[in-house]
Amino acid sequence: MKNPRRYEPKPLFLERMKLLFPDKKDFNSYLEILKKEPVRSIRCNTIKISPEKLKKRLEKKGWKIKILFENFPEIMIVENELQPGELGRALEHLLGYYYIQEIASMLPALALNPKEHEKILDLCASPGSKTTQMAAMMKNSGLIIANEVKFGRIKILASNLERCGVMNTIITKRDGTALCKRFKQKNFLFDKILLDAPCSGEGTIRSTPKTLEMWNIKTIENLSKLQKSLIASAIEILKPNGELIYSTCTHAPEENEEIIDFALKNFNVKIKKINLPIKTQQGITKFKEKEYSEDVKYSCRVYPQLADTEGFFIAKIQKLK
Amino acid sequence: MIPLKFLKKNEKEKLLKKLNEQFGIKEIPWEIARLGKERIILFSGDISEKEIFELDDFARIEGIGLYFAKEQNEEIRLSIEGSQLLKNQIQKNIFELDEKQAEQWMLGQELNIKTGKKGFLIMKFKDDFFGTGKASENKISNFVPKSRRLKYKEAKIEE
Repeated sequence: MKNPRRYEPKPLFLERMKLLFPDKKDFNSYLEILKKEPVRSIRCNTIKISPEKLKKRLEKKGWKIKILFENFPEIMIVENELQPGELGRALEHLLGYYYIQEIASMLPALALNPKEHEKILDLCASPGSKTTQMAAMMKNSGLIIANEVKFGRIKILASNLERCGVMNTIITKRDGTALCKRFKQKNFLFDKILLDAPCSGEGTIRSTPKTLEMWNIKTIENLSKLQKSLIASAIEILKPNGELIYSTCTHAPEENEEIIDFALKNFNVKIKKINLPIKTQQGITKFKEKEYSEDVKYSCRVYPQLADTEGFFIAKIQKLK
Repeated sequence: MIPLKFLKKNEKEKLLKKLNEQFGIKEIPWEIARLGKERIILFSGDISEKEIFELDDFARIEGIGLYFAKEQNEEIRLSIEGSQLLKNQIQKNIFELDEKQAEQWMLGQELNIKTGKKGFLIMKFKDDFFGTGKASENKISNFVPKSRRLKYKEAKIEE
């Protein structure tokens, strides 16, 4: 069997990443961390148990638990070695006391900061990591519409929502763009929207090295079109002053800054700064021959080597009155 | 169209009466609805019933709220989440598992044990609620879904 860490990056991928890391030292530390397995991070499901209680329980099992951020005690790392699959097989996981989630993947919901009684749309929701995180942040109140277009992925979404005791959510199955159009026709508007868009997944190489083998530039170009269509439709159903988080788990500027630039140039929106609990880099304003609005720099690039996470991109935009 | 029917006040009272008789549960502060023939769900979302059906018209609802219980032969069987959610109210028909039984239970095995009771029992180990089992003369039947079971023989539930 092929060693899962042995997939070779394609030359074009490396060339593009070099443009993102002009400093050779940064580029090398990026390549270095790709060889390292990601840390074992979990999120305490505060709908069911407090972080203190969970930590105590897991430590009693002999696990070494570290709470990473004082302000977010629900985010934990299991520092000791575990058997393959042990995190998912543990009783505490089966009972819904925690969710296995990469730290970078927890950031979009933190940036959106859904409040109790708000109406939220999670446009591309499966497998439900961010939906369950938001439901916990909202203390199971307000409303979340969790949409997923693929039938096969609805099942896993529903099963994760159930395991986590989520009660404030409706699952829908529609193409994201079409769904937003229907919401607009019905004047069904949202306080906040999470658009965690389908993407080429360059940020997930540490956990899924096979991404390197599957990578190709055509996919990025096609996804960029889909992402523009999704953000354009989503902005239309935000309430005035409503906020949208656009996130991907990729580094490709065509899927990130280009989408935010498109939104800023075509809609009555502004970009807002985000405070995240880990080190990030600002969005870029130029890639190859393309130049983006200066404000795009307020988006956040999460690079794996900066805080020992996966890679992500997060931007917050607000609809103006 | 989603086979969803929210319970009216009198239907909710009837269900609560059963829950009270079976488990001592007196109050459910959320909307209760029937989904299909047997499933009962709890929903805390801030949206009217009318809006839900409008939404279903154009967005095809695939799921709503939390699966909480099933009604079978006029008796209520709580799901794992149902038992966890209402654990502070549950006072009757509780079966306290010991460590070995808890492990067997979460492996999906029935317990060969005489409880002297017949019908649904809440399965509990220390602070953990594992849903409901059905007691008959010599055993308690297990309803833990496959996806929620411990999956290995050496499974160990910690004291």
